[in-house]
Amino acid sequence: MNDVAPLLTVKDLGVTYLLKGGRRFEALKGVNLSVAPGETVGLVGESGSGKTTIGRVILGQTRAQTGRIIFDGEDITHADRARRRALGRDIQVVFQDPYGSLNPVRSIGQTLAEPLLGEAGLTRAAVAARVADILHKVGMPADTASRYPAQFSGGQRQRIAIARAVIARPRLIICDEPVSALDLSVQAQVLNLLNQLQRDMGLSLLFISHDLTVVRHVSRRTIVLYRGEIVEEGATESLHENPQHAYTRALLAAAPIPDPARQRAHREQRRMGDLTWRPEP
Amino acid sequence: MSLQAASGALPAAAPASLLRRLLGRPLAALALLWLSLVLIASLLARLIAPYDPLDQDLLAMRQGPTPAHWLGTDALGRDLLSRLLYGGLPALTGIVEALAVAGLLGVGIGVTAGFYRGRYDRLIVQAVDLVMSLPAIVVLLSILSIFHNSMFAAMISVGLLGSVGIIRVVRSATLAVGSELYIEAARIAGLSDFAIITRHVIARIAGTIIVQLSLFAAVVVLIQTGISFLGLGVPPPAPSWGGMIFDASSVLNNDAFMLVPPGVTVALTVLAFALIGDGLRDALAERWMQRGAGKVAAAGGTAVSLSGPRRAPDLEAVLSLRGLVIHAQGREQPLVNGLDFDLMAGETLGIVGESGSGKTLSVLATIGLLPSGTVVSSGQMLVAGKSYDLSDPRHLSVLRGKVLGMIFQEPMAALDPCFTIGTHLTEVLRARGGLSRGAARARAIELLREVKINDPEDVARRYPHQISGGMAQRVGIARALALRPLVLIADEPTTALDVTVQAEILDLMRGLAASSHMAMLLVTHDWGVVADICDRALVLYRGTCIETAPVAQIFSAPQHAYTAALLRANPHNALPGTELPTVADVWQQQALVP
Repeated sequence: MNDVAPLLTVKDLGVTYLLKGGRRFEALKGVNLSVAPGETVGLVGESGSGKTTIGRVILGQTRAQTGRIIFDGEDITHADRARRRALGRDIQVVFQDPYGSLNPVRSIGQTLAEPLLGEAGLTRAAVAARVADILHKVGMPADTASRYPAQFSGGQRQRIAIARAVIARPRLIICDEPVSALDLSVQAQVLNLLNQLQRDMGLSLLFISHDLTVVRHVSRRTIVLYRGEIVEEGATESLHENPQHAYTRALLAAAPIPDPARQRAHREQRRMGDLTWRPEP
Repeated sequence: MSLQAASGALPAAAPASLLRRLLGRPLAALALLWLSLVLIASLLARLIAPYDPLDQDLLAMRQGPTPAHWLGTDALGRDLLSRLLYGGLPALTGIVEALAVAGLLGVGIGVTAGFYRGRYDRLIVQAVDLVMSLPAIVVLLSILSIFHNSMFAAMISVGLLGSVGIIRVVRSATLAVGSELYIEAARIAGLSDFAIITRHVIARIAGTIIVQLSLFAAVVVLIQTGISFLGLGVPPPAPSWGGMIFDASSVLNNDAFMLVPPGVTVALTVLAFALIGDGLRDALAERWMQRGAGKVAAAGGTAVSLSGPRRAPDLEAVLSLRGLVIHAQGREQPLVNGLDFDLMAGETLGIVGESGSGKTLSVLATIGLLPSGTVVSSGQMLVAGKSYDLSDPRHLSVLRGKVLGMIFQEPMAALDPCFTIGTHLTEVLRARGGLSRGAARARAIELLREVKINDPEDVARRYPHQISGGMAQRVGIARALALRPLVLIADEPTTALDVTVQAEILDLMRGLAASSHMAMLLVTHDWGVVADICDRALVLYRGTCIETAPVAQIFSAPQHAYTAALLRANPHNALPGTELPTVADVWQQQALVP
């Protein structure tokens, strides 16, 4: 890490879900991570690894049983509702599904104005100006504000969702699989947009994804999560070049390379090295 | 960076006002007209009524319409028009009272119960069930026996009794909306519960609330008329619609016309309330429901046309498709525009494209399983030595399973949760393969072993929810292979799976294709999957084949700029952190009309 005080620190986070029939599911088992100001941290894992749960706890949507969430020096693990609402301006989210995350009956302008409601003394005109400005920043036409979500494609909606996340000038954004539902060409546009906004606004991003390639593109540091535990963490490049944990190696070996010849070699290597991941039951 | 989304938007159409949109619907406009007429006439009754409603003219009893009495007179010679006009205000007042009570309680309690859930919700549900089990008529009559002739008391009670039905509907609508992502996003944005309920929940379920309230208003009109008919509401001789119907019923045999003015008024008012709710809901939804006709055009390109002279079907191919055209019903622009391809024995052909390119539709057309609303306009398929006209899907069902096997993107959704894995396989083997029960059972176990399931006997006894997604896809493959098809069609077979599971499934498919010399048609958007398993790839863009070539060539020397752009947009090939080239740039840079 570095000498700057981290913006976000997650300490020994544990979350257990109660399932039907009294059974318990340990979604997170003592997770530690931190995000520095202006840094993008990639969080990689497969379904059920607990990566989304981490995001939800940071956002205050799921309760932590053990551990602490420290944001800018303040323990927000059990922040009360008033504090949580105020934190909404500092910590924002971009979801995977651009269709479900916008209310179809609210115009884009109404949706984008919501994070600004907490800011005192903003006139109607000032809100409209902020909305117009953010729409311009994410590359949407100016008349977008008066339209409704049904008029936009998935990629355009994801731009709008990103606009909502950044309009109140937050410091940290939880990106929960923000490009997984998008086509390759649109995915590239959205990744470019996130990278650009991060640079311009000095945002910290916790980038949650199942796709190692996407994470490598956006983050300098990557954390690999498996069944609620961090199995490996490090600089993205070294993690890709020299993975330490068997699971990371299996994950890298399983991801196909978009080049037939290299993929053939890659596949043979996976077979020879027995890199097929067999989770213990 | 190029932010091409701009070109996807439509020129802003001035949004029409709610009233104008409502008036654009003939039935709603008529209903609104009638209700306004009733309201205005009732309010102005004192000014416009030709007679006092209690004035008896014993020289003009039970007359039909005359110039002096437009709607005739009753048994005491009172002017029916005047009585109708004077009876309007108490009727409307009663409706407003009942609606206000039912609306406030119904929406208030229903939304909060659905929003907060938990103990409060359970309490409300039990209270609602309790009130619903009460006999409404008995309750109403008891109330009226306490509050003599008090229409106000009666209407408040009707509102209370009616609110429970509205609570139930509003609560369940709220439950559905409450789990939407945008509610969570609003919470994270720092909105208070009150703001979320009013801005998001109520706005979203406004249509449901309006329809419930308008139907309830219609019922209230009937109940109120009934109460006055029984003489329990407005005390005679004061005019009321129900009372007028009672008066008419007593002389029905002599003078049937007396029933017409109050009867028609009540009937039309009931009808108008019922209709206006639907109209209002649709008019409200019109604002946000309309789709952007231009949104697909986000890439900025015009439709691509690459079709050269049509080649004859390839007789060497296992499956040869020619001139496939698919239309959405009622649309002129085809979804798939003249697609040709040949699938050779043992070959795996990847159909690559983005969402909306028509890749899934194209393969579904080969087995005659297009979703409703889409049709094959033309297309020939040569498979297993026979030619099929794809525009007539009835003949294609014989191909399913025996010639063309298919696996789907969502392996779990493709299995019926009510049946065991074994049953899924044996039903195919017995119905289509003609095997006996025992033979089918044995073959099913063998199939599960072929798809590398370790403990096939055990898995065959399990239900779909008891197995993992990767296992479910193996079962899907086993079922597709049950009748040993010539071609396996796979529509995004690994998109829903984790990357480690994807690698196993692709290995399995590669092994099966090699061992049985089966051809595969693989639909995907993932270049990695194409590189891993396909021999040849076909790139589809907006229903047109952009190019087709062996995979080595597609990746190393793509012929078309679109293919090259799609490959470059993949972050795998880019330097981390750099700006990715986007496909939109390509369409913008060259006016692509090859």
